[in-house]
Amino acid sequence: MTLARNFPFFSILLCLVGSVLTSVLKPKAARALTVIISGVVLVLSAFTLRYALAMDAAEPFMMGHFPAPWGNELRIGRLEALMATGISGVLFVTLLAGFYHMPAFVSDKKLGLYCIMVDLALGAILVMLYTNDLFTAYVFIEIMTIASCALVIVRQNGHTLVAATRYMIMNLLASGLVLLGISMLYGITGHLLMEPLGRSVRQIYETGQYMEPLTVVIALITAGLAIKSAMFPFHAWAPDTYAFAPPMSSAILSGLIGKAYIFLLIKFIFRVIGLDIIVASHIDSILFACGVTGMIIGSVMAISQRDIRRMVAYSSVSQIGYIYMGLGMGTEVGVAAALFQMLAHAAAKSLLFLSTNELTSVSGDRKRFHYLHGAGYRNPVAGVVFTVGAMSLVGIPFTGGFVAKLYLATAGMPLGGWVRALVLVALAVSTLLNAVYYLHTVVSIYRRAPAEIDYPPSHRVPRHAAAALLISMLMTVYLGIGSGPIMRVIESGLKMFA
Amino acid sequence: MMLAVPIALPLLAGAVLPAFRWKRKAARNAYVLGMTVLASLLLAWALAAPSQEPVELLRFTSRLTVSLKADGLGRLFAVLIAVLWPLTTLYALEYMQGEAKQDSFFAFFLMSYGVTLGIALSANLLTLYLFYELLSLSTLPLVMHGGSGASVQAGLKYLYYSLGGAAFAFIGLVYLVYFGGTTDFAYGGLFTQVDIRHSAQLRLGYLLCFLGFSVKAAVFPLHGWLPTASVAPTPVTALLHAVAVVKSGVFAIIRITYFSFGAALLQGSYAQHIPLALAAFTIVYGCAMAFRERHLKRRLAYSTVSNLSYILFGALLLTPQGLAAGLMHLVFHALMKITLFLAAGVYMVKAQADDVRDLRGLGRSMGLTSGVFVLGSLAMTGIPPLIGFISKWSLGVSAVTLGGALPVAGLVALLISAVLTGAYLMTPSFTLYTARRAEGAGEPEPLGLPMRITLLALAAAMVVLSFYNQPLLDFLTRTASGLM
Amino acid sequence: MDGLLMITSVLLPIVSALMLMRMPWLNESRRDRCTFVGAVLLLECIVVALVAIEPQRSVVLFKMTEQLPIALRSDGTSRVFSIVMALMWANSGFFSFRYMAHEKNEQSYYAFYLLALGSLMALTLSGTMVTMYLFFELTTFLSVPMVLHTRTKEAIAAGIKYLIYSIAGATMGLLGIFFLTPNLSSPYFVEGGALMAGSLNIPHEALLAIIFVTLVGFGTKAGMFPMHGWLPTAHPVAPAPASAVLSGVITKAGVLCIFRMLFYVIGPDFIRGTWVQTALLGCSAVTVFMGSMLALREKVLKKRLAYSSISQVSYVLCGLYLLDTMAFDGALLQIVVHALTKDALFLCAGAIIFTTGITRVDEMYGLGKRMPWTMWLFTICSISLIGIPPLGGFIAKWYIAEGALASTVPVALFNWLVPTVLLISALLTAGYLLPPSITAFFDLRTEGECLVPQVRAKPTALLVVPIVILTVAIVVIGVNPSPMIDAFNRLAATLF
Repeated sequence: MTLARNFPFFSILLCLVGSVLTSVLKPKAARALTVIISGVVLVLSAFTLRYALAMDAAEPFMMGHFPAPWGNELRIGRLEALMATGISGVLFVTLLAGFYHMPAFVSDKKLGLYCIMVDLALGAILVMLYTNDLFTAYVFIEIMTIASCALVIVRQNGHTLVAATRYMIMNLLASGLVLLGISMLYGITGHLLMEPLGRSVRQIYETGQYMEPLTVVIALITAGLAIKSAMFPFHAWAPDTYAFAPPMSSAILSGLIGKAYIFLLIKFIFRVIGLDIIVASHIDSILFACGVTGMIIGSVMAISQRDIRRMVAYSSVSQIGYIYMGLGMGTEVGVAAALFQMLAHAAAKSLLFLSTNELTSVSGDRKRFHYLHGAGYRNPVAGVVFTVGAMSLVGIPFTGGFVAKLYLATAGMPLGGWVRALVLVALAVSTLLNAVYYLHTVVSIYRRAPAEIDYPPSHRVPRHAAAALLISMLMTVYLGIGSGPIMRVIESGLKMFA
Repeated sequence: MMLAVPIALPLLAGAVLPAFRWKRKAARNAYVLGMTVLASLLLAWALAAPSQEPVELLRFTSRLTVSLKADGLGRLFAVLIAVLWPLTTLYALEYMQGEAKQDSFFAFFLMSYGVTLGIALSANLLTLYLFYELLSLSTLPLVMHGGSGASVQAGLKYLYYSLGGAAFAFIGLVYLVYFGGTTDFAYGGLFTQVDIRHSAQLRLGYLLCFLGFSVKAAVFPLHGWLPTASVAPTPVTALLHAVAVVKSGVFAIIRITYFSFGAALLQGSYAQHIPLALAAFTIVYGCAMAFRERHLKRRLAYSTVSNLSYILFGALLLTPQGLAAGLMHLVFHALMKITLFLAAGVYMVKAQADDVRDLRGLGRSMGLTSGVFVLGSLAMTGIPPLIGFISKWSLGVSAVTLGGALPVAGLVALLISAVLTGAYLMTPSFTLYTARRAEGAGEPEPLGLPMRITLLALAAAMVVLSFYNQPLLDFLTRTASGLM
Repeated sequence: MDGLLMITSVLLPIVSALMLMRMPWLNESRRDRCTFVGAVLLLECIVVALVAIEPQRSVVLFKMTEQLPIALRSDGTSRVFSIVMALMWANSGFFSFRYMAHEKNEQSYYAFYLLALGSLMALTLSGTMVTMYLFFELTTFLSVPMVLHTRTKEAIAAGIKYLIYSIAGATMGLLGIFFLTPNLSSPYFVEGGALMAGSLNIPHEALLAIIFVTLVGFGTKAGMFPMHGWLPTAHPVAPAPASAVLSGVITKAGVLCIFRMLFYVIGPDFIRGTWVQTALLGCSAVTVFMGSMLALREKVLKKRLAYSSISQVSYVLCGLYLLDTMAFDGALLQIVVHALTKDALFLCAGAIIFTTGITRVDEMYGLGKRMPWTMWLFTICSISLIGIPPLGGFIAKWYIAEGALASTVPVALFNWLVPTVLLISALLTAGYLLPPSITAFFDLRTEGECLVPQVRAKPTALLVVPIVILTVAIVVIGVNPSPMIDAFNRLAATLF
């Protein structure tokens, strides 16, 4: 039904309006509203997906009545709708499971601000998923930057201030790079809407003039988005930020916001520049190298951590590396695998951050591993959820992570030669490294607690939170078992993405 | 669909076991034993149907599925597991009396049964890989059961080795998917009409896959987890680390060699020579380490390391005769090794004899156990007419028939290993009866009925198989030639 | 049924041993037990004699797998070996009735004594290589308890050493069995060899090397260099009657295996003239020499006799490896004579220990007065062992030497080297066997130190009569060797 065409626009509007509304609401109401908004967005996205699946090609949606190339456009395709559904689903579950913890981290007065930022972030994510216009994308990149910084800094202590500052600086730098790139591109082509841009770029490439500026543009925008999504070697801000921010913020930042940036990058590669041109410029090789290195280094750093939250944070760096390795392969199969990994990681990572928080809170708020012995018995739900999340990241069969690995490995096979070998060996080594720190932790939380430590009496996890955690766990398992349809959607969506 | 039931039943039964509030131990024990026996019976029933169609459980893509099938090799392994598991469970019920956390122990013990059956009945490599990983996870709590620092370390070592190995085996899986399009098992492999330019890459893929699975098969240098894991309770060591887990590794290697990549692809290439050399080396290495080891279970663990490579040696000869010999040893060694481990467990729990030196003089006071131990030792050393000799003979004849430097070197390794086995197994056997007990050593406790039954049953099985084995050998020969 | 007598000769001692272990009424008194064992031993000798009289036959006991039959076979070779073994075993058994009166654990001793006898009989009656291997290993396991009977640390260590060496030797033999099996015309023993030399599936040279290893492996029980290390340790720690049979009989089991492999599987022609024959001759010659040298230096009587066994058994091997009919006869005669002689010597040593507690040769002063019978028998046997006519030992060595001179060995060296070594060895034997007798009879010390050894226990007839029987036999053979030689010639005709 054609009403569904408007749903993406509605969702974005809803988020933006919601954020304004939230500023006048009391904290409890604000919380409820945010959760409701994310739920509604989820439903709308699901309908959009259904609509997109019925369509053979992606559909542009004009904002207002200004036609291209002057007006603004959204584009509704399978891939965008799928990612929107996935991300809003994860966000919904995360909010349900995580909100009841927030009072421990954030004072009541700030809670309203927090909700505003969550709404803004969601809106920005949706824009980046659907937008067809480079400038709009930039505007919402900035909005997302501010929102994400606020999400971190809302918890006021020394660590978060430092982390947020570092995050801010790097993000603004990255935004600057992106802006520079967009300006140059505009200068060369005169377009901001992505389809005309794409045609122009192709012309430039074929005629061979302006090649150096084009290369510089590609480099600038790629670098900018890579910095924002914590690709190695630009990941330095990530561990501190994820470790010290409130857990829900870490979940949102790591699992969702980062993905939006990568998705934008993919859009840029496919729609604006074109995959073959990217490959010709060898940027993909750089992405590949950074991805592989990040995979390994992230895990190696994670092993040496003493604190569970920092460990999970470094693990994010490693997982993003997987995605960039897939992107860097320079083939459609590779990108498809990377997209699947994005979904799997989003599902698993939020799971991990939240259950980690549960585990530390029943261990007297201490994060060091020694204190976590026996946490799995004190909070069974969190223990099981953490175990499943860990298994997914390690890549145990029947979880999403395993299927992602399988797709990545299969995508690497046609590359041949030492590149293939590198992909396979890196995946194998990374699996082993992940096993070392994740499964060690799983074993730790199920060990007998040391007798000399006094644990506070554990509070009961509210039912809705427990239900949300279990649902997200089921999502991971579903990705592991029934990935077939999803992968087909990704592949067909990618074909019509350009 | 029947094939899925014997796998699912123990899995579910074990998963729900902790949820029941068991008022009496006897009730829980009856439940555990009952479920195990029931699963074995269901398996027998499921295998009685002659159909060989694969049963699809899950579908990733049209050619990547999770399916079960009962061909000759799968039946062999499944029946072996199904016979040995109830016996060991019976033994474990007495052994674990007085230990803590029995509920969780038996829960995971049951679940591991289902998972192992899953490995046996897998119809393709993806299914086998799934169950293989699950086996590592379901046996991990069993290894760490003791809860001490050493147990946890042993468990972690086991975990890292297993997962690392599986990660490399995964590479082989991907190669199969890419070059063959499917991971289904077919005798002779998927690549009977292979492009020459692909065979080099396929061999590399096979080698990586072999190295990955060889972790569980305890091939040097990836065997390190096995001796350390003997810190687990004896039923775990006996069944899992002598039969289920390690034989799964060997089983997986046989599958990828004969049913995925295919003997034709590998014959005569470095992809055959390197594994064969590693197996031959491990045969001697395992025995040499066993000889030096004083702790009884660790000694038997090293002996397992060596004997697994006997099986691999036979299989890697890449002839039907070699495979049949290897399968023979797979069955016979499982029987002999479980007997030895269970006897060792009796010594440990009833007479506090952990060390080979502690066995001195126990022969009289623990007559049944010692008799069974000596019988097992004789069989393992390869004294005719017991089963150990039959399988070693077959391995030797296969090697000689094939000829070539590596097979003959392997044969020599086999014989050296026989001497060493005699040294490290027959020496304790003799000191059981001839040496004197240490001063102040207490009287050993008497055996309960479960342990007695188990030991006697295993000893009887060994003796019977020594004389009446032709049907089994025929089955093995037909399986090895791909006729089953 | 076919082969019933053969099976009886194997099962009789085994079943009796099991009865001895399990039935308390047999063990109520020493008398009962000894009577029972004695009866079994005599009965066994009769059965063996009956088997020997019967014509040649074979019977399949069962099949381990289709290709591995376990079969028994009675022929010329088995007659020789089985009669020798049964008689020696019975003789030592009777001796031990008195000797073991002061030892403990008699029940298990006799049980294993009988079990080992059964296994040995089966070994001599083996009809295929694998059967032979089976009973070779079984004999090892059943004789180890006799070695470690006293349960001291030294005994246990010696037993384990024997065990390991034997297993190693058997495994080396197994190597050969593996490689030979595909190349044989029949898995059963065939006179003159079953090897199809024309159509081997491995290179000729490789098979030769393997045969060398095999024969060295089986030679472990016979104490041939380089696998002799266990003998000097194991023989002395066992009780004297056990040492007697270990030295006199079980070593022959090793010889039997070599015999069977050489003449019934491989065939003498295969290795005639090759480096294998040279090497084996070399090893046995070295062993002859080495054994004598070691015996010379040794002061403990039982150990000296053990080293002597090493040497004497290698005479047999020398004779066999010359692959000549005369030497063959000599070798078989040496088997018989050495068994008799060494048995007697060990029993003498046992009697001395039992009566006076003396173990070393430099303590045997004046024994001639105390135990005249024993020392006279000792002396006669020594003379035979040295090879002085007209005793049996001389005939045997003469034949071997003659055979060496006449045979066609690849390296002409051996034509005269073997007789030379035999001669030197004879001198050395004299050097280590005569002094004890001399010391016993002619006490050459100064007056003040003359001590007559104390008598610890009373020797009875049982301690002396067996030795007498053996010695008489030696004398008889020395005077009239022809019947035996003829029998051996007939056997040789079928094998060469």
